[in-house]
Amino acid sequence: MSNTPIPVTVLTGFLGSGKTTLLNRILTEQHGKRIAVIENEFGEIGIDQALVINADEEVFEMNNGCICCTVRGDLIRILGNLMKRRDKFDQVLVETTGMADPAPVAQTFFMDEEVQRHFRLDGIVTMVDAKHISLHLDDSDEAQQQVAFADVLVLNKLDLVSAEETDALEKRIRSMNAMAKVLRTTNAQVPIADVLDVGGFDLKRAVEKKPTFLEPEYPFEWGGVYELAEGISQLKLAAGPDASMQVLLVPVDDLATPLKEGPERGLRSWSKQAALVKPGGLVEPNAATALDVSSGSETLFGVRVPRAGKWMLLTEHGGDEYQVKLGTTAPLAQKVYGSHEHDETVTSVGLHFEGDVDGKRLNAWLSGLLQEKGVDIFRMKGILSVKGQPDRFVFQGVHMLFDGRPDRPWGRDKRANDLVFIGRKLDRAELTEGFKRCLT
Amino acid sequence: MPHVSRAHLLDVFRLPTSDYPRGLSFDRHGALLACGAADGTVTVVSADSGTLRWQTRLPDSVSRVAFSPLDDLLAVACFDGTTRLFDLAGVERAKLPGAKGGWVEWLAWSKAGLLATAHGRGVRVWSAQGTPVLETPAHESTVSGVAFSADGNHLITSCYGAVRLFPLQAHVESKLLPWKSSLLSLTPSPNDKVIAVATQDNSVHFWRLDTEKDSEMSGYPAKPMQLAWSPDSKLLATGGGEVICGWRFEGKGPEGTKPLMLKGHEKPISALTFSRAGLLASGALDGDVLVWEPAKSPKPIGIAPMKGEVAELCFSPDGTLLAGCDSTGVVTWRVTRV
Repeated sequence: MSNTPIPVTVLTGFLGSGKTTLLNRILTEQHGKRIAVIENEFGEIGIDQALVINADEEVFEMNNGCICCTVRGDLIRILGNLMKRRDKFDQVLVETTGMADPAPVAQTFFMDEEVQRHFRLDGIVTMVDAKHISLHLDDSDEAQQQVAFADVLVLNKLDLVSAEETDALEKRIRSMNAMAKVLRTTNAQVPIADVLDVGGFDLKRAVEKKPTFLEPEYPFEWGGVYELAEGISQLKLAAGPDASMQVLLVPVDDLATPLKEGPERGLRSWSKQAALVKPGGLVEPNAATALDVSSGSETLFGVRVPRAGKWMLLTEHGGDEYQVKLGTTAPLAQKVYGSHEHDETVTSVGLHFEGDVDGKRLNAWLSGLLQEKGVDIFRMKGILSVKGQPDRFVFQGVHMLFDGRPDRPWGRDKRANDLVFIGRKLDRAELTEGFKRCLT
Repeated sequence: MPHVSRAHLLDVFRLPTSDYPRGLSFDRHGALLACGAADGTVTVVSADSGTLRWQTRLPDSVSRVAFSPLDDLLAVACFDGTTRLFDLAGVERAKLPGAKGGWVEWLAWSKAGLLATAHGRGVRVWSAQGTPVLETPAHESTVSGVAFSADGNHLITSCYGAVRLFPLQAHVESKLLPWKSSLLSLTPSPNDKVIAVATQDNSVHFWRLDTEKDSEMSGYPAKPMQLAWSPDSKLLATGGGEVICGWRFEGKGPEGTKPLMLKGHEKPISALTFSRAGLLASGALDGDVLVWEPAKSPKPIGIAPMKGEVAELCFSPDGTLLAGCDSTGVVTWRVTRV
């Protein structure tokens, strides 16, 4: 008997999203896999290559009363039974009811040691009815959670909406869950391999493929690239809504795409505890600085430029808001980055840092973070470069639970850390700060 | 220190099974051993030789097998939702219907020869002839265990959040023992004084039936799914890790007392059972089977290996045979004291 854990795919989605259509395709198409399906309604399909088990969703709380420790009792029981005929199945598929909160399903794979020993959560696939999901997202926690928890989001029934509506929908769900692979389809016609083999999903690849992946969550709203001479340049700000505004100057000479890479570089130096500089004071490069703009009128500051070249100024609030002017010329290029306000809506925060992390510090930070914010952090995933370890370290978490393991060696790949958090009230600056302290 | 003799486990036979064994039971005479399998096969062999007596194939996986302690009947629970009663020659005497969609998860015989079957949220009690005696109202979640009290007065069930006692006699009352957790491995003591369960929270919970007071024994590294009472009801042996933890129900204990720690396994315990003579057999995930005499010594007195994770263990009624199964098949040993 093989000791490799059997991958489990969880299929979620509101009633009418096309879950059953996809399920029926998985059951009937030739894909060479023996699948055990745990579904919540009686199916009429009897298929040789699959075992279909009907189950009532039974969400059990643990006695410690922690809401993050709810598990699916029926799954533990059924998977326990499947273990005892395991040679026959390559894959398990769990279909949830439309209104299900995916957390207890996912937590079951972290909380129960027997389940953990024999199965691994391969991925959560959420079917989205493109026509009606917007309504659900406005008024249903479950719909938000189903989108937030997904590793794969299938935008289905696209024949019922226009291309513009589809783009807007994708943008909206991406802002909630930047981690998931998004598939567009009609009538659930997605390649089966794209929904059943999610485990190979690589965060780093996702970052490379989608340059906008990390953008919406920057702690600054505006960035401008300037050609500056060595010496002191003048920075002029008009009165704005807040008494202070944070800015940061980073060199971008060596960057091919400063508007894209500059903010990444800026993140390393961005800090919530930036020193406050009075009007007329000096802004140092590579150091986050809070400018005192409380005077109610135009304020001047000095910016020290150590060498001539291209520099990027990043500002906490929109450049227009304070009518930011640096030096004597207009910026060579500029860009508005997403608002950093965090609220009750579900968002994603992605972090990318090169270099190594200290395993102990990271562990302490994650434990503390999850203890404090676990209720609001729905999911997190990451690939880490741990100091002294030749292998990539891959981890994932659900609410307060997290679990990690060494993956393949880094080899020739550039060692780096990619983390994604999905949840409510996520504070990118705080997460960035916390993670930065774990870097060696 | 009492004299402790060793126990030798001598191989009697090894019986490969066509699929993962599901259920193991000796008949009341100790002459037959029945084993179910995940492919639906039911095999009955001579307990002392392994000679095939009869075999049949059910339409779906077997979930449990259990010989009656009173009659010459074997109950076989199946994933197709039915329970079948076979006589010792393998003739099907009754086919007990189940509820639509649920397989029979649990079986229990009473000393008086009543059979309880649990599927989904319901439990039914049947006579040995297969006539319905009782059907419980639907539980609020799937039934996780079923048993009879030794005195035959109650049917006992567990599900998420509570253990229930349903009266089987006119003069007794029903009881509800609540505890907000996923309750597993329902195991009443042989003297009817205590009901123990394991919980999903890695603890053992028990109620004393005279006062209905309950206690929680926590601190297990894993779910203590394996629970076994000594025949005198003085010791509750529990798994939930590599060490067998024995709670002594003597004096004011086990609350506030140190448990008996039986150390010998190197991997987590996966099966525990007592013989009527008080020998304890334990199996672990590394395939080791150990035999203990906990009343006399905290050290193992016998050892035998299996090929894989020990799934189940059971003693013959007179305690001279021990049968075990792993994913590959069944092994039977003769237990001799030296």
